Amino acid sequence: METSMTQNTNQAQSYRLEFFGKGSDYFAIMIVNWLLTLITLGLYYPWARAKRLRYVYGQTALNNERFHFAGTGNEMFRGFIKIILFYVAVIISYMLLFIVTQSQLLAVLFLYLAIFAIIPFAIHGSFRYRMSRTSYRGIRFGYRGDRNELVTKFFKWVFFTIITFGIYGAWLQMNIRRYTHQNIRYGDVEFSNNANGADWFLLNLKGYFLTIITLGIYSFWWQSEIFAYYIDNMRMTKDDKKINCSSTATGGGFFRLLIVNFLITVFTLGFGKAWADMRTQNFICDHVKMEGDINIDEIHQTEEEYTNAFGEDAMDFFEIDLA
Amino acid sequence: MMINNKIEAVYFDGQSSASQPTTVLFNDTLNELRLQVEGKISLVWQLEDLQFEQYNSLLEIRNKNYSGALLKIEDKDFSEKFFAAMKQNKRIDIHTRLLNLGLSKITAIAVCLLGSIVLAYFYVLPPIAEKSAELLPESFDNEIGNVFMEAFLNENDVDTTKTKCLEQFAAELNLKNKKKLRFTVVKSKEVNAFALPNGQIVVFSAILENMETPEELVALLGHEASHINHRHSTKMLCRNLAGYMVVSLLFSDVNGVMAVLAENAQQLHSLSYSRSFEQEADEQGLKILMDNNVNPNGMVKLFEQLEKESKISIPKIISSHPLTNERKENMQKIISATAHEVKSNNKLNAIFEVIKK
Repeated sequence: METSMTQNTNQAQSYRLEFFGKGSDYFAIMIVNWLLTLITLGLYYPWARAKRLRYVYGQTALNNERFHFAGTGNEMFRGFIKIILFYVAVIISYMLLFIVTQSQLLAVLFLYLAIFAIIPFAIHGSFRYRMSRTSYRGIRFGYRGDRNELVTKFFKWVFFTIITFGIYGAWLQMNIRRYTHQNIRYGDVEFSNNANGADWFLLNLKGYFLTIITLGIYSFWWQSEIFAYYIDNMRMTKDDKKINCSSTATGGGFFRLLIVNFLITVFTLGFGKAWADMRTQNFICDHVKMEGDINIDEIHQTEEEYTNAFGEDAMDFFEIDLA
Repeated sequence: MMINNKIEAVYFDGQSSASQPTTVLFNDTLNELRLQVEGKISLVWQLEDLQFEQYNSLLEIRNKNYSGALLKIEDKDFSEKFFAAMKQNKRIDIHTRLLNLGLSKITAIAVCLLGSIVLAYFYVLPPIAEKSAELLPESFDNEIGNVFMEAFLNENDVDTTKTKCLEQFAAELNLKNKKKLRFTVVKSKEVNAFALPNGQIVVFSAILENMETPEELVALLGHEASHINHRHSTKMLCRNLAGYMVVSLLFSDVNGVMAVLAENAQQLHSLSYSRSFEQEADEQGLKILMDNNVNPNGMVKLFEQLEKESKISIPKIISSHPLTNERKENMQKIISATAHEVKSNNKLNAIFEVIKK
């Protein structure tokens, strides 16, 4: 390959994030999902979830190229079975523990610990799965976090949270966010995140009190600040080039979005939720501004393909915010 | 094989994110696509290796043998042809096939399905649930009634004198019961009475105070005894349980059936019977009145008493027994249509006087 490719592209690029999804299409998918889930007595759920995700990803486009979610119901079903098996094992151990020790306190403590302990595994599993199944312009995303490292850190942070009576929770959240995000790759583009617990704590403290003082009205501005905090701290780098993200959403914008969504959902007895969801996706894509000089024509495939032979990390069942 | 069609497309090779202009050649049967990438590299994609996403006229095609590679073709005509070819190869899943019926047809199917579930819920489920109630042994009725009564007695005071009187009163009557009935009067300002599946009839003291004639009490006992004779509680329990299963299925939420059992056992006395069960208890109760040679108008008077009371407070017996007027008329119709003999029963009158004291 010639070196000419990297020389002429040190200038600012333009990026446009768009969402094309339509409420009526999404509604149709939801109804078919519902029908098939009903007929299969609920077993269709993983496939339904895959269909839903595939639609949302496929309708999201950067510079007019769509994202792609390649995850399948079969993969998710395997993750589903694993979680069921885990719960069965936990419940059996719980009962055995109770029978052996005759101590309800001990048994309940074990139950909570076991359910709690799965959280870092689930975060790792769902990031790994979701990223490896996401692609854009034929280039895969990937998650390179180390599971054991995340689990160790997670329990350390939880310990700090407990001894600070929950205050460290803000740091816990942002530390997880920073760790997971900085391990995301899009080909040879690396993601990073500058979020930190102190800022996050103050942001929410302020939001909480202002919301109370204004009888809830400030909550929309609080929401807008949370969104901005998430987006503004996202960064992508490739060699010496980068992309910075920033939010253009306002409190007023969130006010309109959430109030109208609420009205749509309530006055249609919930059926309008499909439209509300599409409005939300649209709003998010419309309010993320990306600036930088990474040429999205020049990304190289680096992440290995997800092999579903073991399905070992398909734990995408926890509704974890992967934004 | 004749290659007789040509179309312009965009190709991403799965190595770099650069888009490459590509010419796609194919024949009418569309069993394979020949890709000429940037006019040079030639690839042959077999239809059976392909997966696709369709966005209106835009097709995104991926090949399982070409990791990451993506072929984009924007052409309405080709998009339709390609879909048809995939369909012929049975490569379209049920979800997509349903989706392609269009929103109005899908909605129609969903509405029909929902409608038939609702119909089944109201017309198929009750008889099945009642049949299954018949399969339950009597011991189930006793067990669930005992559990409730135990909890109920913890919170309510029994009027032992009136309970004894009520037992004597009932002993004078043929309540057509197959099961041994037990009677309890509890001190309460609430105008209420209920029957438990274990044969326990509970009468609240306030309802006795409102009564003017013994036949009203016979009517009340007849009505409650009929609920027991026909196992209405157990049938209703089965019905609620089956109903909950259907509802939880609709919302894909499968846990909580046990919660319904527990809830119903807790609320047994306010368990509202269906209208048909109430009607059955009314009619069977009326029959008990007539067969005991008691004035059947006692049933009508009982309703009137309850109706009057409803203006003052909201007694549960009214709220769970709707449309009092309709029921009254039904009773009057049966009374005038049925031959019956009324004999004054001094013993009943005497016991009633004691209860009223």
